[in-house]
Amino acid sequence: MTLAAGIGYVLLALGPSLALFVTVVSTKPFLILILLSSTLLWLISLIVLSGFWKAFLPIKTSAWWPYVILILTSVVFQEGLRLVLWRGYKKMEDMLDAFADRVAKPRLYLTDKMQIALAGGLGHGVAHAVFFCLSLLTPSFGPATFYVDKCSYAPFFLISAIISLAFVTIHTFSMVIAFNGYAQGNKSDQLIVPAIHIIAGTLTLVNLASSGCIVGIPLLYIVALSTLAYCGKMVWRRLTETQIRLAPQNQ
Amino acid sequence: MDGSILESIGVEIIGVMSPVSICMLLVVLLVYSLTSFNSPSVEPIRTAANLVYLEAPSDSTSQKIEGSLLNALVFVILIAAVTFLLVVLYYYNFTNFLKNYMRFSAFFVLGAMGGSIMLSIVRQFSIPVDAITCFILLFNFTVVGVVSVFAEGIPIPIVLRQVYMVVLGIIVAAWFTNLPEWTTWTLLVALAVYDLVAVLAPGGPLKILVELASSRDDELPALVYEARPTVSRGSRRGGLGLLVGGVSSDDVEVEMSRRNGTGSGSGSGSGDGESVEMMDEETSPLVPNARDGAFSVSVGGSDQFRQAEIVEDEGERTPLGAILGMRDEMEPQSRGGDVREEMTRGIKLGLGDFVFYSVLVGRAAMYDLMTVYACYLAIISGLGCTLILLSVFRHALPALPISIALGIIFYFLTRVLMEPFVVGTSTNLMMF
Repeated sequence: MTLAAGIGYVLLALGPSLALFVTVVSTKPFLILILLSSTLLWLISLIVLSGFWKAFLPIKTSAWWPYVILILTSVVFQEGLRLVLWRGYKKMEDMLDAFADRVAKPRLYLTDKMQIALAGGLGHGVAHAVFFCLSLLTPSFGPATFYVDKCSYAPFFLISAIISLAFVTIHTFSMVIAFNGYAQGNKSDQLIVPAIHIIAGTLTLVNLASSGCIVGIPLLYIVALSTLAYCGKMVWRRLTETQIRLAPQNQ
Repeated sequence: MDGSILESIGVEIIGVMSPVSICMLLVVLLVYSLTSFNSPSVEPIRTAANLVYLEAPSDSTSQKIEGSLLNALVFVILIAAVTFLLVVLYYYNFTNFLKNYMRFSAFFVLGAMGGSIMLSIVRQFSIPVDAITCFILLFNFTVVGVVSVFAEGIPIPIVLRQVYMVVLGIIVAAWFTNLPEWTTWTLLVALAVYDLVAVLAPGGPLKILVELASSRDDELPALVYEARPTVSRGSRRGGLGLLVGGVSSDDVEVEMSRRNGTGSGSGSGSGDGESVEMMDEETSPLVPNARDGAFSVSVGGSDQFRQAEIVEDEGERTPLGAILGMRDEMEPQSRGGDVREEMTRGIKLGLGDFVFYSVLVGRAAMYDLMTVYACYLAIISGLGCTLILLSVFRHALPALPISIALGIIFYFLTRVLMEPFVVGTSTNLMMF
């Protein structure tokens, strides 16, 4: 029974990513490589951050401002990392295009670029879920469960799985938004991504308050769903634009 | 719409990474399900890897370090001795003896070690099975395994062979995880260093072995995982894909295709029915290191045979180091109606690499899941780096050093730095 619960938590956090992985990523080996490297990058960022915060932890005071600083530094650092990832991707795209020319294959399609961004985002999201949720799940396979005082409505594992699901969604699709924004030089797309990330991070601070998770988690899900909607709208717009542009050429 | 290039790049890398991942995953599961069972009553067993010093939890740290260093030293010396012996035997053409010896060791590993693991699984999960059934199953499993490891003349599906290689790796790795902690770490470091020396240093035993095998155009008498693409023969293959840096395109070819027979030129390029011109290039295998002191050495080696005509743009430089891959190599049908036997050869990874990657991950699994993920990522990225280097240098490379170094670094970083941080933030339900 507890085994079933543990597997349930895993699937709750990672089920959608698993579906994405199987349908989109796993058929193309290159995307798997992208996913792995982006996961590794996220892990490295987490290690650097924890190395930095090691000196200050554990936070003794009950004040909430150290947590705010923690979230802010982490988000800023990770957004900086996204820029690094974009630089790397840009170089790789040039190489891929040059290579495609050489073997007389078509260059990267727009959908290919989006899939690369999706794989990168999925790597971030999966890494998040793995390190913040899955790695704490080991006790949940045992014969007991664990409740947090401040949010005692559901087991801790269930709550962390639910929060992770929201973050996986945010990470995955904000990468698509960000890459598109960088590619087109679209300022609003570029700025909305860090904004989403900071909002989502600060929303989890609500959980520090007693039974704050009742409010915090639905708000987090609103953020996640609006990210999803924004991304969907943007991709749709891009696709229809390119179709219109391509249509005359095909004739 | 012709398939985009995304689909064809990196096939080879994934072909090597996925069995390694499967192996590690299964070892972790095995370690998890078995340690919870017999952890209180586990008795340190004496193997080749801890001949000198038997670690006890009560020993002081310096004692442990000293003892584990001695253990690692003795183990590496043993392996080196066995490897040299094998090289000598191979040099004097005792190939049949070597192959039978490999078969015997595969039999022993599958039967005895695998059998004992199977027994503990049966006990752990209380599987209702009687002794006779169990024995028959084990015997069949073992015999098929032995036959498939060195199949000569018998058409064994490559998938079966690959499966057995992974199983062998899992079994040996599961045994190595019984070693005490300090000994495991020093052993891994020592083996990585040994691997580096044995493959790259002039006069290193594995280097000699690979060179001998390639000069003789022979299969290596060793347990090697072959990432041969499982594409049906005769179908048009998308070739290989690799990420490369700054090499001419033909430098990077790792998957080779060899054709025997009275071949006319291949369809692509300038093939106009001339004789098959084989270019015997240097090998590009990943050479691993010795596996399990008492047993054998596992080495990867592959000869590359190519038809010169296929390579149209040979010598052309890709300036920034692009991606190689995707040479639609062969036309399926032979033009002159000749019968051809096509044999593809992929990247080879020694079983030793499987074993010691999995040992590292299995050891990490005894601490926490978080270290498992970190080590897995580190090892896989190390393997990726090795594969990229392989395509640059084009000769046998040790696959252990980069991966093991990264794995150990990430293990301790995760354990010391990351875990308190992550546990602290996420038990407060804070995430970002």
